[in-house]
Amino acid sequence: MNTLNLILCAVAAATLDICALVLILTAYSERRSCKKRWDKLTGTMELAEQSMTYPLVCDEILIGRHASADIRLPDISVSRYHAMLTVSNGVWVITDIGSKSGVFVNGNLIKQAVLRENDTINIGVRRLIFRRRSDSYVR
Amino acid sequence: MSANPISFAFSCIFVIFAHSAMLVNVFINGSYESLTPVITLAAAVLFLDIAYFVIIPFFRQSSYTVDFLLLLILNMSVIFQSCFGGVRLSVKHYITVIAALAACRAGYLLCRNYKWIQRQRKYFYIGIGLLFIIILTLTGSRRMWISLGSITIQPSEFIKPLFILVCATSVTAQQKKHKILCFNVVYENLALWGLTAMICLLQWWCRDLGSLPTFLGIYISGFLFRICYPKAKLSKKTFILAGIVLLAAALAAMKFAPAYVQERLHVDIWSDTNGNGYQQSRALIGIANGGWFGKGPGNGYLCNIFAHDNDIVFATVCEEWGLLYALMMICVILIMLAIPLINPPRSYYHGTIAAGVCAAFTVQMALNIFGSCNMIPFTGVTIPFISSGGSSMMASGFMIGMLVAAQSPIFKESAPKQKKVKSMRRLAQ
Repeated sequence: MNTLNLILCAVAAATLDICALVLILTAYSERRSCKKRWDKLTGTMELAEQSMTYPLVCDEILIGRHASADIRLPDISVSRYHAMLTVSNGVWVITDIGSKSGVFVNGNLIKQAVLRENDTINIGVRRLIFRRRSDSYVR
Repeated sequence: MSANPISFAFSCIFVIFAHSAMLVNVFINGSYESLTPVITLAAAVLFLDIAYFVIIPFFRQSSYTVDFLLLLILNMSVIFQSCFGGVRLSVKHYITVIAALAACRAGYLLCRNYKWIQRQRKYFYIGIGLLFIIILTLTGSRRMWISLGSITIQPSEFIKPLFILVCATSVTAQQKKHKILCFNVVYENLALWGLTAMICLLQWWCRDLGSLPTFLGIYISGFLFRICYPKAKLSKKTFILAGIVLLAAALAAMKFAPAYVQERLHVDIWSDTNGNGYQQSRALIGIANGGWFGKGPGNGYLCNIFAHDNDIVFATVCEEWGLLYALMMICVILIMLAIPLINPPRSYYHGTIAAGVCAAFTVQMALNIFGSCNMIPFTGVTIPFISSGGSSMMASGFMIGMLVAAQSPIFKESAPKQKKVKSMRRLAQ
């Protein structure tokens, strides 16, 4: 194989490299549009607690004390697996999954409840506010 | 159309550009007698590129990257397969590539709405059951192929996507525990254990132990997602127990494996170059002959070896196109599998699908490449999309469709259920 052929092989390989790179960049650009779509679907909501905010980025979110919980509240008054947040058709629902201290929405003890903007959720001694997100957080 | 038409257009151009560079390489370095086969190959590849780019916007996805990567790798494989032993369009492989693209669309449409698909779970069990019956009755004595004239079908390939779907759709069912005696039992977990055991037995019966690690890879990824699922209760004891059981099973399998497997486990290919080490020794020589940049498309020797286009396809590509290009081909497949890391799935169902597909493809590629390089026993498993074979190609295409669905999911409830809810509200009023 002569030098010209070697150069051609290297050029073909480089073209494939560049193509792969462009497709990776496209994936990053599409991530933004996917995030916008998700926000439109879920109403760009988050749970806020004093200085902490928890963006809701999945369709099922576990709240609890356990290390595997999506929103971890390390407090003895919170059960290891306390409550579950789910979204369907843009509506967020909180469900008590067998906690000891219960889940309170706007002061009412609930087993399952539909959440509305600015609802207050009490889980053990922790107080969370379900509100619209103002930042542009990207997961 | 894509949310970002500019990046969509750029991606189309660069995919065509990459294929054109390969075709120029075929034109200059390839082995052919007349220009007609080169022109036919170029026309076929570029036509498929353009046709797919025109069709996919009609599906209204939020992400097209996996589709671009799929088309990139599929047309690369058309060019590779068409150059083995001299340049001419491999019509059979071209048709299977079109079938894989169609299967990808079918996989996307079927799996994108997880609310709907979770209600169809029983059909996947029925589908696997039917495939079991087909394999046990129609493939003949302990074989995995059905011969229909000049076409052969491998039904066990179609179990893979169904098995992933069973794993993914049953994740949420873990919270439904039933008390039997003093044990809390999850029926879906028991069903999945049983199904895995039956698949293992079937693979052993068909003497296709090479595919067994792929199924185990899918099961392990599904198992990991199950223990990560909310309230599935990640238990260290369960984790350690599962590890010990797996290790014991692997040791027992090595100890009590059939004689033909034992031979492969302990074969010295260089002392048996015309027996059990025939393909591997030729494959290694082929890789060494190819060097970094290859001998040129169609100029290899490995095309004369049995199963050069599927079992040792990595070595054949290395010999003709060079190690650099072969490694990049693998990189493109790995990038396709890694896209869910850039745009993570929003539900455990889609996450399990993505993990299952990645596990299946990664295990298959590792078995093929390391097997042909004599680093592990030779299994005869295919590299997805690169090896020839219609069943493998269609099953792989369907699995990539599932990955596309994980990137562009639908979270809305289906219409009939909404009607049902409205009618229930009216009743309540």
